[in-house]
Amino acid sequence: MTKCILIVDDEEDIRAITKMALEMGTDWTILTASSGSEALEVAAASHPDTILLDMMMPEMDGRATLKRLKADAATQPIPVIMVTAKAQPSSLTEFEDLEVAAVLAKPFRPLKLAGEITAILGWS
Amino acid sequence: MTEPAAKPYQADILAIDDTPENLQLLSQLLTERHYKVRSVTKGSTALRAAQAAPPDLILLDVNMPQMNGYEVCEQLKADDRTRDIPVIFVSALGETLDKVKAFQVGGVDYVTKPFQVEEVLARIETHLQLRSLQRQLQQQNAQLQQEIRDRKLAEEKFAKAFRSSPNPITLTSLPDCKFIEVNPSFLRLSGYTREEVIGQRAEDLPLGLSPTATAEGAAELSAAGVLHNREVDLRTKSGEIRTLLISVELIDLAGSPCALTVANDITERKRLENEFISLVSHELRTPMNSVIGALDLLATGHLGALTEKGQTLIQIAIANAERLIRLVNDILDLERMKSGQLTLQLQQCSLADLLHQAQAAMQGLAEPAQVQIEVEAVDLEVWVDCDRILQLLTNLLSNAIKFSEPGSRVWLSAAVERGAVDPAASLAPLSPFLHIQVKDQGRGIPTEKLHLIFERFQQVDASDARKKSGTGLGLAICRQIVQQHGGRIWAESELGQGSTFHITLPITNTPSSADD
Repeated sequence: MTKCILIVDDEEDIRAITKMALEMGTDWTILTASSGSEALEVAAASHPDTILLDMMMPEMDGRATLKRLKADAATQPIPVIMVTAKAQPSSLTEFEDLEVAAVLAKPFRPLKLAGEITAILGWS
Repeated sequence: MTEPAAKPYQADILAIDDTPENLQLLSQLLTERHYKVRSVTKGSTALRAAQAAPPDLILLDVNMPQMNGYEVCEQLKADDRTRDIPVIFVSALGETLDKVKAFQVGGVDYVTKPFQVEEVLARIETHLQLRSLQRQLQQQNAQLQQEIRDRKLAEEKFAKAFRSSPNPITLTSLPDCKFIEVNPSFLRLSGYTREEVIGQRAEDLPLGLSPTATAEGAAELSAAGVLHNREVDLRTKSGEIRTLLISVELIDLAGSPCALTVANDITERKRLENEFISLVSHELRTPMNSVIGALDLLATGHLGALTEKGQTLIQIAIANAERLIRLVNDILDLERMKSGQLTLQLQQCSLADLLHQAQAAMQGLAEPAQVQIEVEAVDLEVWVDCDRILQLLTNLLSNAIKFSEPGSRVWLSAAVERGAVDPAASLAPLSPFLHIQVKDQGRGIPTEKLHLIFERFQQVDASDARKKSGTGLGLAICRQIVQQHGGRIWAESELGQGSTFHITLPITNTPSSADD
């Protein structure tokens, strides 16, 4: 079954590259949102299979967006993968308190992303 | 040719008598005894002669017309130029009163005419010697006065520098580390009064400095004589924590060893550094994500086939983008460790597993370099931050491989030891400790660089960063990891023979934090 992924990032370039990379090796449907509030709307309307959520965004950051997603019964079950440039691969333990499926450190390698998402979420 | 012998000093005697025969007799007598004699018959002439060229001694007749001997003597004593010249009265007046008067006006002796030649000569010689001794004393006294003035000035200069220095300065006794003196900057910083500080130890106040660290610092200072740029956290009286960069010099104070500590409050600088790092972290990595992502996508060829040269260029761009990311990651890791933001996550793990994991992680680098990694480890469960220790081992292995020739070997070993292994440690650890070694057969490190390599961006060869694609931060990170675990790291090396990196770590069998 084809998967639907929502990419949330305020950086247009990151959205474009991530979308392109995920589309390249899979038949997934890729949705994008440029802010936390847009993400809430898209998530509620489209029920993606997972959300790649950027931590550092203006106004509503990743943490706040995550809280809202988890507070809404409609979006609560959607697994969220947090993406952050503030963390090091060596220090992701700081994000342990978050209700997320995983934390990915930026910069990530777009071509490996589909494989990583599949592994994290246990998709076969 | 030898130097002619210095002419013996001839004392200069001024003889004053209105009777030319007496004068001649005296003059002849003294000249025969090698004195230099000037003879005058009038008191006024004598005064001028004495003022113009003060003699060493004056022989003065009492009874003279116009100005008698007493008057001459009074005038001599009234003049600074002639005051100190000893005056011996020579007179036919033999009454006690005459003699008393002579001493009252400043004479040093009185000889009654007719006189015994030997007696006069003996008296002259005695007074010349007294005069000479007096001169010496005056000179020594003047010299001492000058020295006291110089010393006072020097003391004042240093006292002023100490009191007005914007840097906190302390003077502590060794080895008990009690404050002997502190300057106002230190009192302002710590919030304590001078009375509260003097005679106390840092931990008595408490300034938040660990007694163990203080004792170790004191031992290290006694051995090395000086400690440079050590970072310490100081707790002020109000409980605020200030970060200080201190330099300590071992000095001798009246025969007792003391520590002179000059501090620099870098709290604000550290805060700005952390803010800056956080900013760099995000602002550098976000565009790097786009760069590396775009390059990766281009390199797949799915967006159009690339020529061979095009592929090469893309690979160069990717390699450099990766290097830049490594550099940013290393800077962040190091700064976060140093600022205490990155604390150890201690867990129990198998030492042998850690060593084998490090070997496996480095196999990808070792194989193309044709370097063989040999592992030898004791089977021991240790409480460490496994990820950090793995980072430490892979950093050291990666260095060892990079600087090894094809066909050579790199050894990674760990053993439990007792006693001193660290040549720089002043105290041998009492309990058994873990000794990890990473040994290579590479080009070696020059002795003068051995103490520098654990500093940031201190590569043995400036071009290593480019040629060996290192960041210049690996060993600084290693040191930080080891220090956080309460251990020590150092290197031994022989040029052309290879290097050995030694790490000693305390063995903790419980989850109690190693970085207290």
